[in-house]
Amino acid sequence: MKRHLAFITAAVLALTTLGGLTGCTSNSPAPAPSGTTTTATPDATPTTVSVVDPTGRTVTLDGPARAIVGLTASDIEIIYALGAGAAVVGRGEYCDYPAEVASVPVVQSGSETNIEQIIALKPDIVFMNTMAQSQEQMDKLAQAGIAVFVSNASTIAETYDVITLMGDLLGAGAQAKAASIVATMTATFTELQADATAKIAGGATPPSIYFEVSPLQYGLWAAGKNTFMDEVATMLQLKNTFADVDGWAAVSEEQVLQRQPDVILTVTMYFGDGPTPVEEIAQRPGWAAVPAVANGKILNLTNNELSRPGPRLTDGAKALYDFVYGA
Amino acid sequence: MGLQRSARASLWLLAFPLVTLVVMLVAIAVGSVNIPLAGTVDVLWNALTRQPQPDPMAASIIVTTRLPRVLCAALVGAALSIGGASMQGLLKNPLADGTTLGVSSGASLGAVIALAFGVTIPGLPYSGVVVLSILFACLSLLVILTLAYRLDSSLSTNTIILLGVIFSMFASAVVSLLVTFAGEQIRSITFWMMGSMASASFPNAGLLAVATLVGGLVLYGCARELNAFAVGEDNARHIGVDVRRVRFTVLIASAVLIGVCVSMSGTIGFVGLVTPHMMRMVVGPNHRVLLPATVFGGATFLMLADLVSRTIFSPRELPIGVVTSFIGAIFFLGLFYYSRKRG
Amino acid sequence: MSEVMLGLDGVSVRYGSHVVVDDASFELTSGDWLMVVGPNGAGKSTLINAITGAARYDGVIRCLGHDVRTYSPARLARIVGVLAQNHSVGYAFTVGEVVNMGRYAHTRSMFSDRTNADEQAIKRAITLTGLEPLLDQSVLTLSGGELQRTFLAQLFAQDPQILLLDEPTNHLDLVYQEQVFDLIREWLKTPGRAVLSVVHDLSLAKSYGSRAVLMKAGRIVADGTVLQALSEANLAEVYGMDVFAWMRKMLQQWEAT
Repeated sequence: MKRHLAFITAAVLALTTLGGLTGCTSNSPAPAPSGTTTTATPDATPTTVSVVDPTGRTVTLDGPARAIVGLTASDIEIIYALGAGAAVVGRGEYCDYPAEVASVPVVQSGSETNIEQIIALKPDIVFMNTMAQSQEQMDKLAQAGIAVFVSNASTIAETYDVITLMGDLLGAGAQAKAASIVATMTATFTELQADATAKIAGGATPPSIYFEVSPLQYGLWAAGKNTFMDEVATMLQLKNTFADVDGWAAVSEEQVLQRQPDVILTVTMYFGDGPTPVEEIAQRPGWAAVPAVANGKILNLTNNELSRPGPRLTDGAKALYDFVYGA
Repeated sequence: MGLQRSARASLWLLAFPLVTLVVMLVAIAVGSVNIPLAGTVDVLWNALTRQPQPDPMAASIIVTTRLPRVLCAALVGAALSIGGASMQGLLKNPLADGTTLGVSSGASLGAVIALAFGVTIPGLPYSGVVVLSILFACLSLLVILTLAYRLDSSLSTNTIILLGVIFSMFASAVVSLLVTFAGEQIRSITFWMMGSMASASFPNAGLLAVATLVGGLVLYGCARELNAFAVGEDNARHIGVDVRRVRFTVLIASAVLIGVCVSMSGTIGFVGLVTPHMMRMVVGPNHRVLLPATVFGGATFLMLADLVSRTIFSPRELPIGVVTSFIGAIFFLGLFYYSRKRG
Repeated sequence: MSEVMLGLDGVSVRYGSHVVVDDASFELTSGDWLMVVGPNGAGKSTLINAITGAARYDGVIRCLGHDVRTYSPARLARIVGVLAQNHSVGYAFTVGEVVNMGRYAHTRSMFSDRTNADEQAIKRAITLTGLEPLLDQSVLTLSGGELQRTFLAQLFAQDPQILLLDEPTNHLDLVYQEQVFDLIREWLKTPGRAVLSVVHDLSLAKSYGSRAVLMKAGRIVADGTVLQALSEANLAEVYGMDVFAWMRKMLQQWEAT
């Protein structure tokens, strides 16, 4: 019996060790068709608005939302961009843009989402996404009579859809803003793509790029295909060196060295201690032979411009374009 | 007679360094990037003789990436294993190890505190993490064993392991608490829980080598005493072992080894638990042979585990803890099953 | 001739507020086989723990004229050896390895080879206990009697002058009991040696002991020759029953058949 117990405890330890290693998956399920039905013109009288969100849920509001909770950073960015920031009564803990969200009360999000906390803020609608929230959490909120919009964008086109749908939900002003944002973004991307294509024209080999999502000290992670970074790279005529992996993935250091990227984009935060992320990469032993290091082509974007499905994707794309091809 | 076993053990001790060396060469030659064996040897030779490298890409992959990583894996494996073997002997408890006793969790708590509060020692980058890991490893061991002695002076397997599990959970809870408030540094903290060889470098390998050498020699100096403890602490006292001094020395040396390893590579489970068992099956329980055997066995085990983690899903990389836990869990299940079946 | 080898002077052991040994004083002289007798909880084993330093105590214990607290563990082990009640060995050491460990206190450096004296002591111990055929066997596969003989051989290899035996034959069958006690009687014949043993079996105490100490609830009730200390009256007082009458009754059961 004693031996039994000892082995059971050993087994429990093994399981807990392994358990700590799951829970880090990336992408979201396939999007569902979405659309908007507005039962009346968005005029003086508040009327029912109904949209189908990217996961196929029908979201109905009795007029433009007056109290909003956003759990996902990108949703909050869109809400503020649409001019509805004043209606935000609660935000997820990782929502950090624009700066004025700092004064909005924080609610727990992700696996710690606290339904009671959200209900207490009396929102008309909660914005969240499936990557961070579970079906159960959505159902519970819906049961509490709160509209739930699930934004699930994993491509730029889907981001446009989400912006448009959110504009529809947030009132006439927002609707108009959404249209203009999508138009601006589309125009910017088209322009960047055209400019990049022009730069490459004439037989020049397209530069290769390595997106570093986690630095060497904590194990290298790269952005592969089906990421915004990959999509932007394609648009800018850059070759993603890790296009053969799906989503964000831990990769071997030697693979980076072998793939010889011309440009490195790192999103590591800098806390003011020791070398900056760019310096750290340049100093890595053995990396001097990597063209990006040899030519000083390392860019540090620290504001999540290229990881959040929101209006700032164009900022990130522009910054990258300017860095690679010159302003 | 008695010589038979020790003669066999001596043969093994000649064979182990050879096996370790071969595995080390394989681990350097094989990686997710395919470099032919001849090329690998050329690069190593050129590096040793300080000649120019004709293929700088292969040179940087082998010399600056794989070599320090393989060295670190070997040293961490050796240090964790000799630490585990010593604790198993000292406590006469085959399930004792940094992870089961909660020492690793304590060390990672120390590392996380150093990261979260930015504890640094001027002039020595990352030294705060190393020092706090070692400190907390020793403190955890002290807390667990003091409690264990109070509850059950015979230090039975169940008491120690259960206290270790409880302490690990407590330490993890404190880590989670810190993670909650750590904000953006969160990513660096999760690394300590998963275990990884990715941050291997020559300076790290150097520090590990010094720690392993000093700690290993201290423990090997206690080999005869460990034999006595492995028979029983009372028996050790009766034949004249300075029980208090040896216990203190062995526990501090093992805790320091585990602390250094955790600060370099996070918590890598099962290495310190499984290697001594495997080696005991081969060379027997005599620590004069067992301790050197676990050094080579642990180095080989972790180099192979790291090789698997680097190559199996190339270009992706697996956390090394997944590989060791996988092998370890299966090994223990087998061991348990057959020992029960034999009755 | 009657040199004092071990002397206890006002020794008390407390576990918290509980007094386990209360002001015990007695002497063990060369050639003595002192039997410590008493009911469970009398503090007999604690006495042995105090002498080996495993239990904290007040008072003074002298060994060959010096306070034992001034001895290093190894030096004490060269003079005092202990055979415990039972053993559970955790790992598959061979019988030979366990016996060799008895030389620990004599060979201090692990790098120096065993001396002739070591080899001889080990050989003698093995011959005396008849363990030759078992030398390469794992101690995990031994019977209780074989295991106790292994530790007795370790003790002989340790070659102390004073043996402390803590109910050494408690779990052994009769044949082994007699074997172990005969071996110790043989060992005691060399001058300058003494034995202290804790026993439960009064008949064993009578047939092997030269002196006896009778204990009850931590106090020494009687000290003298076996017949003096274990008198009918003393035993009746300590055990709260007529021990002699009971022993006679037990024997009569056999005589009747």
